[in-house]
Amino acid sequence: MARVVVVTSGKGGVGKTTSCASIGTALAMQGHRTVLIDFDVGLRNLDLVMGCERRVVYDLINVTTGEAKLSQALIKDKRLDGLFMLPASQTRDKDALTYEGVGEVIETLKEEFDFIICDSPAGIERGAVMAMYYADEAIVVTNPEVSSVRDSDRIIGLLDSKTRKAEEGESVRSHLLITRYDPERVEHADMMSVQDIEEILAIPVVGVIPESPAVLRASNQGVPVVHDSDSDAGQAYSDTVARFLGEELPMRFTELERKGLFSRMFGGRR
Amino acid sequence: MKRLRDFFQKESCQSADIARERLKVMISQDRMQRNQPDFLPRLQSELVEVIRRYTQSEQDDIQISYHCLPQRSQIELNVSWPRNLP
Repeated sequence: MARVVVVTSGKGGVGKTTSCASIGTALAMQGHRTVLIDFDVGLRNLDLVMGCERRVVYDLINVTTGEAKLSQALIKDKRLDGLFMLPASQTRDKDALTYEGVGEVIETLKEEFDFIICDSPAGIERGAVMAMYYADEAIVVTNPEVSSVRDSDRIIGLLDSKTRKAEEGESVRSHLLITRYDPERVEHADMMSVQDIEEILAIPVVGVIPESPAVLRASNQGVPVVHDSDSDAGQAYSDTVARFLGEELPMRFTELERKGLFSRMFGGRR
Repeated sequence: MKRLRDFFQKESCQSADIARERLKVMISQDRMQRNQPDFLPRLQSELVEVIRRYTQSEQDDIQISYHCLPQRSQIELNVSWPRNLP
């Protein structure tokens, strides 16, 4: 049975698209047939982060309006076999997407894929609601920062009221993903801790991604950071997906590493 | 360890704690407003206007709260005004 998962946050710039790319990639690495859908009409970026921007011909709106077939619009990942993406339209107006159209596309994709990952636009407007409407599960991406946490709470409110699951009296299973976490600043009480955020938002944490130079390096190259298995962020995304699939793993990279004199003098940054 | 840190950092402000407290207040307000109908602010201001036409209530003397019950919604209105002593 295919699982529809929305990656959402409310606030922009917290790492939705980065997380979407790495989560989808990690699912495909584990052998799950996965498709990523970019819902950010007018500001499509998932193709850039996935490194397939030059192969975009048709987009989601072309498919919903019947101008292109789903198979023409799906872009196959060049590194992994079971991974595809469906880009957002860069040119059309936001109202071109309809609930019926999106519903049909998702129903068709459910026959082919194990996971359908929806990359939500920022905000709490129609586009964000459209991205979450058909979701069975949600990954709420949050930075340890007041405005991001507050916006995530609003998104959790929408997940509880504006989704098809909610309309049917069920609930969307929500997971919290904390990104750009800096254990050193938490230690100095200048950043809220994982426990603080989990307590406020009251949904279980599925992963914590540390602030890491590897993330920018990966998006520069158009390679999801989870491919960089030596990096802290890459490993943290692998752990996140393992937990998402039901494994029980302790959190890594959430405690301050005590550096010895030697590594402080000679240790470079990974 | 945390105590030791607190001791040395007492002077510097623990900004994460402030963030947490501010968020708790904001989010509980947000959650209260989340399920309110859109017309509520307009209804509130019209009620206040009508009541003040008859009483000498100050703005603070009129309290309107919204409750979401399982089957119905409810507003509770509390009004007081100064007694006219003879």
